[in-house]
Amino acid sequence: MRQQSYSAAAAWIALGGLCAAAPVLAADAAGPHEWLDRMAIAVQTTNYEGTVIRLRNGTTEALRVVHKVVDGVIHERVVVQEGNGLEIVRHGNEVHCILPDSKSVLVEEWNDQSTLFSSLPSSDIRFGSEYDIVIVRKDRIAARKTVLLAIRPHDNFRYGHRIWLDIETGFPLQTQLIGDDGRPLEEVKFADIDLDSEILASALAPSYNTDNFRWYTQPSRRSNKVVKTDWAAEDLPTGFRVVSTRQEQVAGAEGPVLHILYSDGLANVSVFIATEQDKNIEQRSQVGASNSYSVANGNYRVTAVGEVPAVTVQQIAESMRLAD
Amino acid sequence: MNDAIKMQVSAFVDGELPDNEAELLVRRLSQDYELRQQVADYLAIGRVMRRESGVAGVERMRDRISAELDDRPSQDNADRAPTSNPSRLLRPLAGVAIAATVAVVAILGLRQTTGPGEPGVNEIPAAVADAATDVTYTEPALGDDMLRQYRLIHDEISSDFDVSDINARLMTLQLRDAVYFEEVSDEQDISAVDAVEDPAPANSRPQ
Repeated sequence: MRQQSYSAAAAWIALGGLCAAAPVLAADAAGPHEWLDRMAIAVQTTNYEGTVIRLRNGTTEALRVVHKVVDGVIHERVVVQEGNGLEIVRHGNEVHCILPDSKSVLVEEWNDQSTLFSSLPSSDIRFGSEYDIVIVRKDRIAARKTVLLAIRPHDNFRYGHRIWLDIETGFPLQTQLIGDDGRPLEEVKFADIDLDSEILASALAPSYNTDNFRWYTQPSRRSNKVVKTDWAAEDLPTGFRVVSTRQEQVAGAEGPVLHILYSDGLANVSVFIATEQDKNIEQRSQVGASNSYSVANGNYRVTAVGEVPAVTVQQIAESMRLAD
Repeated sequence: MNDAIKMQVSAFVDGELPDNEAELLVRRLSQDYELRQQVADYLAIGRVMRRESGVAGVERMRDRISAELDDRPSQDNADRAPTSNPSRLLRPLAGVAIAATVAVVAILGLRQTTGPGEPGVNEIPAAVADAATDVTYTEPALGDDMLRQYRLIHDEISSDFDVSDINARLMTLQLRDAVYFEEVSDEQDISAVDAVEDPAPANSRPQ
């Protein structure tokens, strides 16, 4: 399982250490980091059923979400209400992605984080150097009282976040990824939600009889090797550090592609280094909040990809150097 | 969007807006891209709140605005930056045909800038500071299969570090979706898809 044991252990240790404190935490007295602790517990333990509005690229998409946790194992069903009608049915790490239009089911293995909120910051992230976290105001989302937290980067190399937390439970009812102009780039928001309601097994069952669908299994990439490298970014934005260096097998590449993952604890940038062969890769591209930048470097092509501003991927990609 | 517009939109959807006011509303929407987006969001949220999958009035509004736009072919183009190299839409992409990529564009609103050596490249500011703000958006190039794989790997490895959320995961699925749409619709040899995406297909449900 993909880091299952580590993630699960961390979750239950955090839960054990904090569950006694959380119920008695006075909402008005809690600081921003205490709210993050409450949120971390809530997303790991809360059962809920609701409708999520997802705003991205100026478009709106509605998802119907049913989420239940039994003995630390996530059971979940997410149905995209429009477009291709994608349905995600999850039991623990095994995830079935049902594509009704193409009568296909893609079987994947996900880690044991919450599907909707796994990218939210935890109290483990050391704020203060690259981000400030502040309580902004009280608000109301999905007819529930909330407190708004803002995570503000100190520079333009990373995005900000706004998180509306349910005052009663600490559950995040709305999240926004904020661009450097202060406008939301992406948003996930509950239009309605039932927290800790009884979830029947039937609510977690797929809507379709998939017996006659075509099934595909997405193999794990565990075979990819962790390696050492002499490549490094000479002008890495403050706070980013290497968290993973691997060799990846990429279809169309002549040989293995070096993959270095940088993170500041919240934002992540991947750098891919391949022998120069595909000159068709676009220099600069954007998908939602994700940017990429590709540049030739000697006999290599360096491509940086990440959910960060365009300036960040460009600076990292252009500063990659191979030590002599 | 003010309350008066909301009331007009609601009345239109309910079929209760007088014809002359409906004409004015449709004309205004056809001329104002931002207002169209706001109305679309307003209607989508309303549908969700009422748990409706579709409303006839919304379809009627969409049809009428489309008809209005058909008479004004340049309007939507005015809402977007001009494409610098439309011919790239015809460039083949290994494993994924044009239709599939267009589907991805429709789903994701993929925005892509021109690449080095492409027409219009001189319009891209070299300064890093300009990178985030002054870009020329075009349709996606079809030679970006490597980049698509990079994005998939990035999302997958990021999820190992607990930083992949529903947006990233849906994007990953939708990127893969394009491959499956193509594979299923054309009933091609699955191995051709394997070469791109490495899925292990099975025609029956795994045990």
